[in-house]
Amino acid sequence: MRSPLVRQILILVALALAPGIGQAVYFQHKISWKSPIPPSELATVDQTRAWGENVIWVDARPDDEFASDHVPGAISLNEDRWNELLPQFLAAWSPGKKVVVYCSSLSCNASREVARRLRKEAQLPDVFVLEGGWEAWGKKNR
Amino acid sequence: MKTHIVAFALSIIISLSARAELKWQQTTIELHPTAADKQAVGHFKYQNPGSTPVHFKSVHASCGCTTAQTQKDEVPPGGTGEITATFNIGDRTGTQVKTVTVETDEATNQKTVLTLRTIIPQQLEINPTFVFWKQGDKPDPKTITVKVSKDFPVKHIKVTSSSPDFQTKVEEKGNGEFKIDVQPQETKNVVASTLTIQPEDSQKVFYATARITNATTIQ
Repeated sequence: MRSPLVRQILILVALALAPGIGQAVYFQHKISWKSPIPPSELATVDQTRAWGENVIWVDARPDDEFASDHVPGAISLNEDRWNELLPQFLAAWSPGKKVVVYCSSLSCNASREVARRLRKEAQLPDVFVLEGGWEAWGKKNR
Repeated sequence: MKTHIVAFALSIIISLSARAELKWQQTTIELHPTAADKQAVGHFKYQNPGSTPVHFKSVHASCGCTTAQTQKDEVPPGGTGEITATFNIGDRTGTQVKTVTVETDEATNQKTVLTLRTIIPQQLEINPTFVFWKQGDKPDPKTITVKVSKDFPVKHIKVTSSSPDFQTKVEEKGNGEFKIDVQPQETKNVVASTLTIQPEDSQKVFYATARITNATTIQ
């Protein structure tokens, strides 16, 4: 008599929990506004190595993170102080150079925004976002 | 029959307790700061309708430009509160979408993503913000187009060059559009100038850059 009762309770509990668990798993990391960067606008750490001295590194992270550490020779250009920092970057830019923008990691958004503004507003060619950002660069260079 | 009723009642109780979670008044907020605002602040209000306290485990913003704060670590049954998300506008333009991920110890839905959508008014659209000539190029004028937002009627703009090596000429095209012709005196030396663009009767200043670059092209 007890066994069917327990079974029924378990079935009902499982049925009751299923929608909640499903919803929790489905929405766990869902951020619908973030679209992927086209592959043509991405550069890997290995690719940037092949470009050698022909690269201008742009650090899109906040000032304190740039001050803490950055890719050697990188120029700080973030949207907190865009108007102030842009002329310094443009002074280092010359035609033919490839611009590689990075932020903290794969999930950050600052590098794609800085790259977009360099392409659209300053109309610079050859602007790339570093895949994996500072984290990926650190793994390959430390 | 009795066992069926007990089982049904139990499942309802467990189901209700499993679904107990913070009820958010809204998980997306749209903000419209003024052109003078330096920050945009969103208040995400919540309530705990359950019978057990809910604890915040972490509150994490999607970028360094946004901070998020809880008023308390624990929300008692029936308790209310809010998470304040502050977005530092800086020199950002257009529509900015930032998220705050809130993690709690609720039985389900432990992670909630709060979205702060900030529409930053853009008084002027400058295109391009950078004009350049290579050393030795013919010093022909290059054009920068300025479009005024319909929300900010501007009749005149003033353009000044930080360097006498570049001359600027502003032409009003009508319909809130201006043409700025930028011309270097010559292109022998590597020089640069910051062009300051100021709408009439406005404190806000916009910038463009003109430069003579090194002739060497690396491919």
